[in-house]
Amino acid sequence: MRLLVVEDEPDLLSVLVRAARKEGYAVDSAADGEEALYKAESTDYDAIVLDIMLPRLDGWEVLSRLRKTKATPVLILTARDRSTDRVRGLDIGADDYLVKPFDIPELFARLRAIIRRGANQSRAILELGEVRIDTAARTVTRNGKPVTLTAREYVVLEYLALHRGEVSSRTTLYEHLFDEDEATLSNILDVHIYNLRKKLGQDFIVTRRGHGYCIE
Amino acid sequence: MRSFQSIRWRLQIWYGLLLIAALAGFGAAIFRVESARQFRQLDEELQRRVQVLAKSRHPVPNARPPRQQFVLLPENSALFDQGGAAEFYYVVWLHGGDAPIRSSTAPVDIPMPQNNTAASVRARGTLREAFLLPAPGDCLLVGHRTERDIAESHHLAWWLLIAGGGVVLLGLTVGSYLVHRALKPVRDISFAAQKVATGDLTQRIASSTSGSELGQLVNVLNSTFARLDAAFTQQAHFTADAAHELRTPVSVILAQAQYGLSNACENDEHREVFEASQRAANRMRHLIDSLLDLARLDAGQESPDRKPCDLATIAADCLELIRPMATARSIQIHADLRSAICTGDADRLAQVITNLLTNAVHYNYDGGEVQVSTRHDSGIATLVVRNTGPGITAEDLPRIFERFYRADKARTGSAGRTGLGLAIAKAIVQSHGGSITVTSELEKGATFTVSLPN
Repeated sequence: MRLLVVEDEPDLLSVLVRAARKEGYAVDSAADGEEALYKAESTDYDAIVLDIMLPRLDGWEVLSRLRKTKATPVLILTARDRSTDRVRGLDIGADDYLVKPFDIPELFARLRAIIRRGANQSRAILELGEVRIDTAARTVTRNGKPVTLTAREYVVLEYLALHRGEVSSRTTLYEHLFDEDEATLSNILDVHIYNLRKKLGQDFIVTRRGHGYCIE
Repeated sequence: MRSFQSIRWRLQIWYGLLLIAALAGFGAAIFRVESARQFRQLDEELQRRVQVLAKSRHPVPNARPPRQQFVLLPENSALFDQGGAAEFYYVVWLHGGDAPIRSSTAPVDIPMPQNNTAASVRARGTLREAFLLPAPGDCLLVGHRTERDIAESHHLAWWLLIAGGGVVLLGLTVGSYLVHRALKPVRDISFAAQKVATGDLTQRIASSTSGSELGQLVNVLNSTFARLDAAFTQQAHFTADAAHELRTPVSVILAQAQYGLSNACENDEHREVFEASQRAANRMRHLIDSLLDLARLDAGQESPDRKPCDLATIAADCLELIRPMATARSIQIHADLRSAICTGDADRLAQVITNLLTNAVHYNYDGGEVQVSTRHDSGIATLVVRNTGPGITAEDLPRIFERFYRADKARTGSAGRTGLGLAIAKAIVQSHGGSITVTSELEKGATFTVSLPN
């Protein structure tokens, strides 16, 4: 899952990025509205955390321009707590609205929820045959027995599971799993897929030659 | 009888009295002048006729001793007793005679004027008589019956009275209208001032007469209201901005602390540091929220979401929230909740009740009691929260609703206590047009009463 965090307060931005990475997200950051809009338009993020009071272009403007081309889930994170602001934000096209100061666990719970809804899933638990993924606890069981996955393996699995039935190309997977700061090896994805198949069954993830991977 | 002390009534009364006095004086003058003119005219008529009589008195030719005789020529007799002169009569005495010559309509009992009478005109009852004493013992007298003249002047008096009354009535009506109009700006001013006093600072006095003395007063008052309004708005904005600016740094502290805690540090010392930061950040967060609440209540920005709601059901919900806290300290809650319908914002009222209940439990002895009751009588919904705590000192009691005022100076409360709870409760109750009061006796607990209009 790849996030864009837009926040002009450097200390808050850095802790959000660190906390999100720790949650297993690939995280890009932007400190002003123009940068945010550029990144949001050029990359398919799974969700965007957007501040409103931003230099250059404010959050309202970023959101309304972004909505002309993309439906990326957006969570507004702002100090503006008035109900008129919330209404405005949600009406422009935000998927959720959280007022500062906030609790980090709540922020991530809300992010998981809008990412799920963006993938047309309403429950936090994904059941795929004998495999059961709890996206809130980030745990996976197979036939009721827990399966231990590395953080990266879990993220690959969660992405494919949320988009089950769709073929995800290697480019798409790379884009969603690694952020702009990570220098990735070209075959690292193959390694993760190999390990997932070993743990969850050879047929669990299907390879479509020339297209990508898919959970059916 | 307060209305008779009003400027309007006093002006009316004075104005009316003045008008009546002026008209009465004027009427009396007209009456007098007119009567005098009438009698002067009559006197002239009488004198003319006396002269005619004088010419009708001739000496009897060759009489010894000389005697006078009285011969009224026929053309002169038309001056008496007939036609237009019917009310004129004459009496003539010759030689002190006992048998005066009289016209046919002359009254019989007319005394002969005495020589020493200086005036040549006299009034006897309704009769007015002029006389001439040409020689000792002789007297020529012309009289006139004045009943009709008197009736005429009475007539005049009546007309003057009726006309005067009409003018007074008209004057009072027009005066009343003028006073009403003149006092309209005063009424506007007091209406607007009343609204401002009850908290509507956007109220201004509409003035069409900016040049007049009242217009100047209106301008002064309006600019005062505007400055008051601006000061309040500025204060509300300042509090809102300040709270707003605090949100970001507090979220940095909170996020950093929570991130630190989530890194499962085994080091107890680090953990304590992060936990303390988190507690402090949470406390600041409550404070910011409370300050913003107050700023918005001050500025009257609360969206009016007023619906009929029942204090009893709101209190019952709040009680469920508070019960675990009470049970933990073995405090018993007694509730007597009767339906108490009022008009208001249920969420805001719940905030008030929760605050009062939390205080009642917090400032109580372990094993104490909290009593909650709601009732409704004569259009007022009342909520009473009473506890058996240590009570509030007489010194603290009047200041308990002030912002940041705490009875326990030690600030040993839990993280959620901001010192603003009761101030917010009061602001909410007042924004609903209600009132909140407290009574307390040391060591016997405190009683908070909230009254809200229906």
